[in-house]
Amino acid sequence: MDITGIPFFLAVSFGGAFLAYLMNFAHRFLRNAVVLLTVSASAALLFWLGDETFSMEMGGFVLTLGKTPYSLFFAGIVALLAVPTVLFSFTYMAKEERPAMYYLNLLITIAAMYGILFSLDLLSLFIFWEIMTWSSFLLTIHKGGNATKAGVKYFLYSAAGAYAILFSVVILYNMSGSLLIEDVARSFVLQNPLMQLMLAGTLLFGFSVKAGLMPMHGWAPDAYAESPAPFTALFSGALSKMGIFGMGMVLYQIFLQSPFSLPVRELLAWAGGITSALATLRAIQQTDAKRLLAYSSVAQLGYIVMGLALGTPLSMMAALFITLLHGVFKAMLFFAVGAVYFRTGLTDLNELRGLIRRMPVSFLTVLMAIISLANIPPLGGFVGKWLLYESLIQSDHYFLVIVAFFSSTASFLYVYRLIFSIFLGQEEKEFEHVKEVPFLTMQLPMLALAAVTFITGIFPGIVLAPISSALTYLGFPIQHDMWSMSMLFNEWGNRMNLLAMISVIGTVFLTGFTILYFYRMRRTRYVTTKDIHTSGEVPTENENLTYAINFYQPFERAAHPVLSKSIRAWIDWIGRSVSELGDFLRHIYTGDGQTYAWYVVLFLTFMLAAGSWIL
Amino acid sequence: MPELFPLSPVHYVAAPLLAAFLLPLVAKLSRSFIKILPGLTFLYVLYVSAVLYPQALQAPIIEQIAGWAPPLGINLYYGPMAGLFASLFSALGFIVWLYSLTQMKQEPLDRFYILLMMLVAGATGMVLTGDIFNLFVFMEITAISAYSLTAFLREDDKAEAGFKYILIGSLASAFVLLGIAILYSYTGTLNLADLALNMDKVPLSVRVIVFGLFLVGFGIEAEIFPLNGWAPDAYSAAPAPVSALFAGITVKAALYALARVTILLFPFAGSMALISILGLVTLVISELAALHQKNLFRMLAYSSMGQVGLAIAALGLFTAEGVYAALFAMINHAIVKGMLFLTVFAMAGGSATLDGLNGMGRKKPILSLLFTLGAFAIIGLPPFSGFWSKLSVLTAMGQTGNYAMIAIVLATTIVEAAYFLRATGRLYLSEGNPAEGKTPLSAIAALAVLAAGILWIGFFPGSIDETLTAGAQDLLDTAKYTEGVLKD
Repeated sequence: MDITGIPFFLAVSFGGAFLAYLMNFAHRFLRNAVVLLTVSASAALLFWLGDETFSMEMGGFVLTLGKTPYSLFFAGIVALLAVPTVLFSFTYMAKEERPAMYYLNLLITIAAMYGILFSLDLLSLFIFWEIMTWSSFLLTIHKGGNATKAGVKYFLYSAAGAYAILFSVVILYNMSGSLLIEDVARSFVLQNPLMQLMLAGTLLFGFSVKAGLMPMHGWAPDAYAESPAPFTALFSGALSKMGIFGMGMVLYQIFLQSPFSLPVRELLAWAGGITSALATLRAIQQTDAKRLLAYSSVAQLGYIVMGLALGTPLSMMAALFITLLHGVFKAMLFFAVGAVYFRTGLTDLNELRGLIRRMPVSFLTVLMAIISLANIPPLGGFVGKWLLYESLIQSDHYFLVIVAFFSSTASFLYVYRLIFSIFLGQEEKEFEHVKEVPFLTMQLPMLALAAVTFITGIFPGIVLAPISSALTYLGFPIQHDMWSMSMLFNEWGNRMNLLAMISVIGTVFLTGFTILYFYRMRRTRYVTTKDIHTSGEVPTENENLTYAINFYQPFERAAHPVLSKSIRAWIDWIGRSVSELGDFLRHIYTGDGQTYAWYVVLFLTFMLAAGSWIL
Repeated sequence: MPELFPLSPVHYVAAPLLAAFLLPLVAKLSRSFIKILPGLTFLYVLYVSAVLYPQALQAPIIEQIAGWAPPLGINLYYGPMAGLFASLFSALGFIVWLYSLTQMKQEPLDRFYILLMMLVAGATGMVLTGDIFNLFVFMEITAISAYSLTAFLREDDKAEAGFKYILIGSLASAFVLLGIAILYSYTGTLNLADLALNMDKVPLSVRVIVFGLFLVGFGIEAEIFPLNGWAPDAYSAAPAPVSALFAGITVKAALYALARVTILLFPFAGSMALISILGLVTLVISELAALHQKNLFRMLAYSSMGQVGLAIAALGLFTAEGVYAALFAMINHAIVKGMLFLTVFAMAGGSATLDGLNGMGRKKPILSLLFTLGAFAIIGLPPFSGFWSKLSVLTAMGQTGNYAMIAIVLATTIVEAAYFLRATGRLYLSEGNPAEGKTPLSAIAALAVLAAGILWIGFFPGSIDETLTAGAQDLLDTAKYTEGVLKD
């Protein structure tokens, strides 16, 4: 087998999963070695992947695999997150049960994501899509308890999406006689516009479920909150991006020529904007770190959809850039929250506090990640947001700019709550024993990803180069005057030199730090605890005076009219109604033999009556 | 070897019947024969399949009983479709026997195995025979052994379920017999091929009535809504190995009969569309009814009805792709549902509830994995067998332009996923203690064969392509059927 071919690549990825499962019976070190080797080998093989396509027949369908610059970019994201994820799992999952199942499903999920990306036809895409869904379902329910419910919910939303996709795929196959995306695209334009709208609509709906776009985001908060932390990083960072990948493919490879393309994209952009605003408001309400991050993920995915749907070269660049960056900093956040959970067993923001001196590396990770998330220079998030704003303004979507600006500013609130509640505030006696997590398996993945946010902030060109070739593949003209290695330009001739910016910020930071160090921070200053709430009484030493409970109560009161209506509740209502219908239908089967006999007789009478009527 | 002892399709029916007859006698010699003889019988029948089925794929084998040529004599028609079903039934019989070896402890075992072999023999007879009255007789053999097996455990509710089954089943027999009598009075023949050529002697209105009678008669056994009231009770009352056979064998035989009779005798567009619609209705109602089941066997029973509904909906298209898809769905269902029934029984015993699955992932990891595999396969997740069967159903519907049907099938699949995954999720709750009792080897072996089937078809769906295509052609090509039988 050709080792630069995609079959070999997938064979390594899937084969490693089963080998790791078997090795679990030998020794856990052997298993871990196989797991790590598998993900690193597939990450390395990405660089040597050849250009040939590969076809095989399966069940009367021709399946075709091959790489495109567009898929290679996403594969890069998967590889970038997969290696830290398995590394982080080694210690994190050591205490958990059924490790063999965990690694098996984790590696299958990763391999299936590669499979999705390297599918050149819709059926193999769907096959890998479903494999990814069930393996990630099994990962989500790994902990049992509430996770089971969350997992089933995740699967049902996903199934609704997946079957919407399959519906379209079957019809498209019937129309074009081929499953290849390019053939499908060619016969797609010959259909009547309404048919085009329906087919593309169902496809987009299906992919948007995985991306957690409102109104189909209901699975995300529960599934992200309940799945094991290392996997959540991959789940939110890479797996949900498969929806973005699919939407991009549908919008620009299949649907672009349709007369409905523009209105649908406008609608999607708005859906993305509303998603980002509402999910940000929800995130601010959360008191559980993982749920907070979950809603934050939904919000960030909303940005990406916004950029993706606008469809200008600049907005696409922004969307893909945020896709990568969100993967990186959200993985950092989930890792850090996982690290805190690993040491304290808590994710509740009302109970955690003052861990900064106990877990400094986790603190640093969260700090770097939220700087990136809040799009503050000099880290990578800034570049993405800059590109997005500029593209929104250029394409005259001023109202969307306001929405984006609103949610990006509001996101300060929840990231501040996250870092304050966990790491700042008064130290507690109960956390005295807490130590920082082990370096090699847990700190290293966090720090490595933190380095990525730093580097992409200064040299975004490293990421913009593959994005440009991906966009060129999708048919967007990317001129080289839009970016260079560390500079961003816009059409009004302004330019932003990131290298200069980091120099300025670095200098200011270093100077300030030096001054502070020499004049203020030479020795720790102890301040006496005083609080007006103590009404003059001197509080005891361990009395907690910095509460993080009801952190944003005024805000919540203000946002109440928006947040009191829940789209999730509506979808749950649909689910409940179907379930009640099922319960009602169950009563057709009364358990009484005479009733059943009557059914038979009535049915026969009906048939004969209908027959004679037709004659 | 063939010269000395010519194999014939008759052996499919004769061998199990003979063995069933001999079983009480050999039981007098040694009790261990009771367990061994059925296995040997099924093995022999499988050997017959291995020899005859490849021949049938080339040209159908038409066997005249006692040398009387049709239309006067009874003939067996062993074509690709009948061969497929006969082989499937024998294989399932063997697997269920293997499983029962250690899992079936309820005495009297000799009667259990006698009934089991009669069930398989009757169902195989139904798919083999070329004579409509003979079809009725085999249907009765199947049904009577099915009634007795339903009530085999001798408890009140089992007896009640068995009684309901008899009540509805005898209606089925009466209607089918009535239909046969009417046809005979007009045409004077009972041979299916001969009947097909003489159907123009029957006035149209009578044909419609007879079709109605057959539809209800076979429809009862094929679990078409609203004729399937007996099924949930019977499935949950019968011992699990028998339920596996109900799902895998009796339904399939009745469905075969319905398809064969409809296509040969009533090939109107209306009758086919009607079958398709009934299939869809069955699918939707059964899947929804399963959603609230706490009893696992009832849940599987409703799911079974739903799966059969899916096969019927595809069958009703009566295109080559539609029949292909229906056959695929039936084979998939026979394997997967069989495995699910057997796994649940091995895991949680005869009265399994949804709660009984809690924490099984720790107590019985292999069985839990098998249940998960079965659940995924029945939902139709790739890369398991159910995916390809469901996909073939969908593409067949797509080819006839029935996009609404595709949407209905997919929507019910979400419902199906809901209750199967809820059950799967319970396996992995962290409750209970690890390692509790071992599952006997014979049961694991039987389940492993079925699991291997699921994976094999899942990864190599092309391997059964030829079988299914030939089966579909065999069913649809009525001219070939009648000419083949009446060539002399």
